[in-house]
Amino acid sequence: MTADSEYKRRTVLKAGSAAVTATLVATPAATPAAAAQTDSSSVDMTLRVNGRDHRLAVEPRVTLLDALRERLDLTGTKKGCDRGECGACTVLVDGRRIKSCLTLAVMRQNVEITTIEGLVRGDKLHPLQEAFIRQDALQCGGCTPGQIMSGVACISEGHTRSADEIREWMSGNLCRCACYPNIVAAIQDAAK
Amino acid sequence: MTVGRPVERVDGRAKVTGGARYTADRTLPGMLYSYLVMGTIARGRVTAVDTAAARAVPGVVEVFTHENAPRLTSDQHFMPLQGTQIHYNGQIVAITVATTLEQAQEAAELVRVTYAPETPKAVIADALTEVYLPANQEVIVGDPTAGLAAAEVTVTQNYSSPPHHHNPIEPHATVAQWDGDRLTVHETSQGVVNAQRTFATTFGIPQTNVRVLAPYLGGGFGGKSPVWPHSLLNAAIARQLGRPAKMVLARSQMYSIVSHRAEFRQQVTLGAKRDGTLTALVHHSTQQLSRTSENMYSHSISSRMLYACPNIHTRQQGVRLDVPTSRFMRSPQMASHFGLETALDELSYQLGIDPVELRRRNYTDVNPTTGERFSSRFLLDCYKLGADAFGWSRRNPKPGSTRDGHEFVGWGMATEAHDHNANPSSAMVRMAADGTVLSQTATQDIGTGTYTVFTQVVADALGVPLNQVKVELADTNFPPAALSAGSGTIASVTGAVNAAALAVRTAVVQLAVSNPASPLHGVSVERIITQHGYLFSPDRSRRESYRAVMARHGAPVQNTSSMTNARGYSTGAVFVEVRVDPRYGRVRVTRGVGAYDAGRVMNHKTARSQVIGGFTWGIGNALMEHTVLDRRTARVVNPNLSTYLLAVNADVPEIDAIFVNKPDPVSTALGARGFGETPITGVPAAIGNAIFHATGRRIRDLPFTQDKLLY
Repeated sequence: MTADSEYKRRTVLKAGSAAVTATLVATPAATPAAAAQTDSSSVDMTLRVNGRDHRLAVEPRVTLLDALRERLDLTGTKKGCDRGECGACTVLVDGRRIKSCLTLAVMRQNVEITTIEGLVRGDKLHPLQEAFIRQDALQCGGCTPGQIMSGVACISEGHTRSADEIREWMSGNLCRCACYPNIVAAIQDAAK
Repeated sequence: MTVGRPVERVDGRAKVTGGARYTADRTLPGMLYSYLVMGTIARGRVTAVDTAAARAVPGVVEVFTHENAPRLTSDQHFMPLQGTQIHYNGQIVAITVATTLEQAQEAAELVRVTYAPETPKAVIADALTEVYLPANQEVIVGDPTAGLAAAEVTVTQNYSSPPHHHNPIEPHATVAQWDGDRLTVHETSQGVVNAQRTFATTFGIPQTNVRVLAPYLGGGFGGKSPVWPHSLLNAAIARQLGRPAKMVLARSQMYSIVSHRAEFRQQVTLGAKRDGTLTALVHHSTQQLSRTSENMYSHSISSRMLYACPNIHTRQQGVRLDVPTSRFMRSPQMASHFGLETALDELSYQLGIDPVELRRRNYTDVNPTTGERFSSRFLLDCYKLGADAFGWSRRNPKPGSTRDGHEFVGWGMATEAHDHNANPSSAMVRMAADGTVLSQTATQDIGTGTYTVFTQVVADALGVPLNQVKVELADTNFPPAALSAGSGTIASVTGAVNAAALAVRTAVVQLAVSNPASPLHGVSVERIITQHGYLFSPDRSRRESYRAVMARHGAPVQNTSSMTNARGYSTGAVFVEVRVDPRYGRVRVTRGVGAYDAGRVMNHKTARSQVIGGFTWGIGNALMEHTVLDRRTARVVNPNLSTYLLAVNADVPEIDAIFVNKPDPVSTALGARGFGETPITGVPAAIGNAIFHATGRRIRDLPFTQDKLLY
């Protein structure tokens, strides 16, 4: 990188998270030398995911998304952009939809995290999962877990009074195969 | 019969539960993470790379630059990290490798590269004197000059469209593992067989030593067709370091190293008689090329294949710029098609002939370039079905004639057309001793519904229920089959799957009728009926289940078949309604109807989804999608999904998809033609034509952003 190198999102994330992580570990500094010292400092944490406690030790800078995918092998949650733009990483935290790429794992202790893997009850699909199949609301499946988690929240928020309202409240989840009308139909189905 | 029915996706459950494992979801024991460092100049040389800080990051195993990267060559692409030369902004200049993703990412930010930069050229407008005609890019039919002289009316207009990026939601990913000189790669690939060949050639090992898998692909749209250099570099790194290595591209990196749709300019000249019949069609285009390749993918095929015109001239020029090499992107013919279908709308207004009627008058059953008759073409049906469903006959052609409150309402239409690939393919079908059926073929399901359609094909051929059939795809251990690009998967592979299943059926029937223990003993093979998992005598008085026959036989019955199919051309017609807010120049698409001739429709549910997807891409291309290059640095300034805008849910109305559904008699794919790329091609022109109808404003430069409607 040259001096005119672009402002990197991870730099922003580090700066923004410093205050939060300060109470837990030494504040990561911006200089390479200091970063090198703190990078090996993992934090023990417990994440409650889909009703189960997972103990893990990761660096404070690890996002919830990367903790789920790369440490807990819960790969149903997808990484599409890693900057909160596509919605593929949507999970529920205490029932609210959030983008797991925009939050650090260390910040999400003592809450109920629900991922796509947590919607199934035994062999029985969640009504919205069933509706997605019935309405062909998926193609490649890359955005689908995020769409479904977002759709579950959209229904519980009550934003399903009309197709237009669903369209608006589901517009934070991009679908490049472009199943949007079918996603709206699936949410309408499941909201009944 | 299940073929044709709207059968639900058989991979639906895996995809809605998170159970489907995509490439980036693979984690192997001892696996390292590779991460790319992208250059920041577009032209010039690397003079120095300082990796000291990057190497000091805990967990970093190695940092590769042009000085120490594995030596690789590619017969397809410019291979980075082999020297100091820079050909485009965002070229790979280093790769960090570490035990965790975070460590590799941090190290990447600490690599310091210095350059000797030169002034780049980024856009066609800055290199107009360097436009040239590459070999074999000009086609002349008849006498276009005489055709124009004979015209009573002519239209000549210039149109343009920006670069686009594929942007599948799943980033490109690759996981490589070596075992001696055997390589296994999980690769985000639209063609595992091609990928296997590329890896084998690059590493100088037999093709049989390479296994490539891509059972689930999170979208490709053409951008995952080849093996890009970063995957080859990652595999080389895995070999050198003796550990599996995983590389997942960041979204921003997908704007420079995995291709795009080229910037495109075109001039369309139409000559016509007063009755609308075309006398000449001249289509000259210029598209961006790179310094390292003159391959071009935005072809003027619509001008050469769609309308009856005795005199045609297409000329596809290029200009080399300091940008990455372009490649095909969903519906590569869309760019040139936009010019043709907009020019036809302009001609319709000059002539005072309805746009649908103008196209009808120039309909042809014969390829105007070759003189060959199309094996089947029901485009006239598409015009009628689409126009009727849309209510086109109620349209007042006068621009600006319809208002709803403060909004202008416009209706526009265009023909849709795209050709499709057909590549020789093979498939295996095996019925196990318990009567269950497995089919394997090394083609892919990139979201279009391959798993589901082949399940239907096998179930129908054998006469067994869908849930007795399992289809496995995208593994080079399976029989080789087509690349999933160019709308070619169903067209290429269906015939082989069907033939293998029929051969298994015949073999099992033979087992039954030749065995005295079977109630069907003695019935001739040809007269047996198979249905619902049973074999029946002709009068259905006797039957035996596949399961029973196979249990008695005690061993699997298997067949591998190969098939080739003809390339084809699928057409249709699309009708749209737009509402234009004159205060903000905002355009919304509020209604869409498409009618298509795709040969036999294999699955109405998945085919309809292809239409919805294509239509949505058309909305994106018409109203928002464009990659912006900074002319000074030849750098993409919007390499992310918050500034490279895709259509979102709120941008897309209900879309009505209609199919003629008549089998193409020459297609070995049970009469199906390739289709996925047809229903985008006309949408940008149809939306532009609707905007003209709504407002009287003709915009010839994509996308139709608000600024262009406001001045």
